[in-house]
Amino acid sequence: MPRLEDLSDAARQAQLNFPAFEHDDAPCAPFTTPLAEAKIALVTTAGLHLRGDVPFSGGDESYRVIPSSTPARDVTQSHMSIGFDRTAVMRDLNVTFPVDRMRELVERGEIGSLAPDFYSFMGAQRSPRRIEQETGPEVGRLLRDAGVDAAFLTPT
Amino acid sequence: MLARAIEEAGVPTVAVVLIKEIAARVKPPRALWAPFPFGFALGKAGDADFQHRVIAAALRLLSEPAAPVLAEFPEDGDGPPRLLQASDVLPASGAVAADPADEITALRGYYERWAGEHDGRTAVGISGVPQRRFRGLVRYLQAYANGEDASYDAAPSDVEPGRFIRLASDDLKAFYMEARFSQKPEQRHNDLQRWFWAETAMGTLLAGVAKRLASEGDERNAQGIAR
Repeated sequence: MPRLEDLSDAARQAQLNFPAFEHDDAPCAPFTTPLAEAKIALVTTAGLHLRGDVPFSGGDESYRVIPSSTPARDVTQSHMSIGFDRTAVMRDLNVTFPVDRMRELVERGEIGSLAPDFYSFMGAQRSPRRIEQETGPEVGRLLRDAGVDAAFLTPT
Repeated sequence: MLARAIEEAGVPTVAVVLIKEIAARVKPPRALWAPFPFGFALGKAGDADFQHRVIAAALRLLSEPAAPVLAEFPEDGDGPPRLLQASDVLPASGAVAADPADEITALRGYYERWAGEHDGRTAVGISGVPQRRFRGLVRYLQAYANGEDASYDAAPSDVEPGRFIRLASDDLKAFYMEARFSQKPEQRHNDLQRWFWAETAMGTLLAGVAKRLASEGDERNAQGIAR
């Protein structure tokens, strides 16, 4: 829950059968900068974007740039599904995309700074080959070239 | 999967994941499993302290020496394990006898209060239909749900009709929910779902719209609106 035992049979089976790109191991880029000096970027798969930007549609493997200085009122979501409760993110963007929380961490000196740009992808992808091979690596390079020390990823 | 792609470019990542079983298969380099429902990635809306605890637990994983790492967040968040759907609560007769356009007028003040108290933030606006045209939009959706050969002149020409109906329906739902946030602040999650589908004429209308979309083979947009 989602804890799978809390879901309906159909929803649980949908999750267990959800196509996933399986792997036996994981790449590892060492995190060497002290957190209090690190430049952090948010990356989300919640289908968020700037108000007025092109909405995502289902299976859309492109991404949107959200400058880290964007106020919450200018961020909207086009990943809409009756499969999740949208009222949480309507009340508080930070429950999905914690821009205010990250700014607070910078003010408190717990992290160093925020990357100039954050990134957003569409969620609930069933076969995101293009994200795996093209748009995901592209965002990785953009983050690297911006001197980002770590990316924090949030789902829908 | 996205985390892996970013990590392969040389940038360390940590991801909040909601389904442990999928994360265990995909193996993002560092993942914090948070046992929250979809839509609640950081657990609780409007609870900064809770959100900070989730973020801190995730950022701590960055210093783990080897990947993959899959840790668990120990607290429960908000949100219903099962979201009520239209078919769970639609009135037996299938109809709330009121005019959705009049409901919009009655809810407008609540909606504007919510947006005004939140720096103008609103989830309404994804379809491109200005709110002053919602009455006309409702008339179009009513004609569509009634099986008439309806068209809507304010729909963007580059969006196919089923998709437009979906986006417009999402705008109307968002308008209702945000109005209800200020009308009944104590209502949360499934209370709001139950109100929308069981008690509003808009819920009945959108269920009818979804039914016609499905009958024309557009299951994708139909399922996105109501089921």
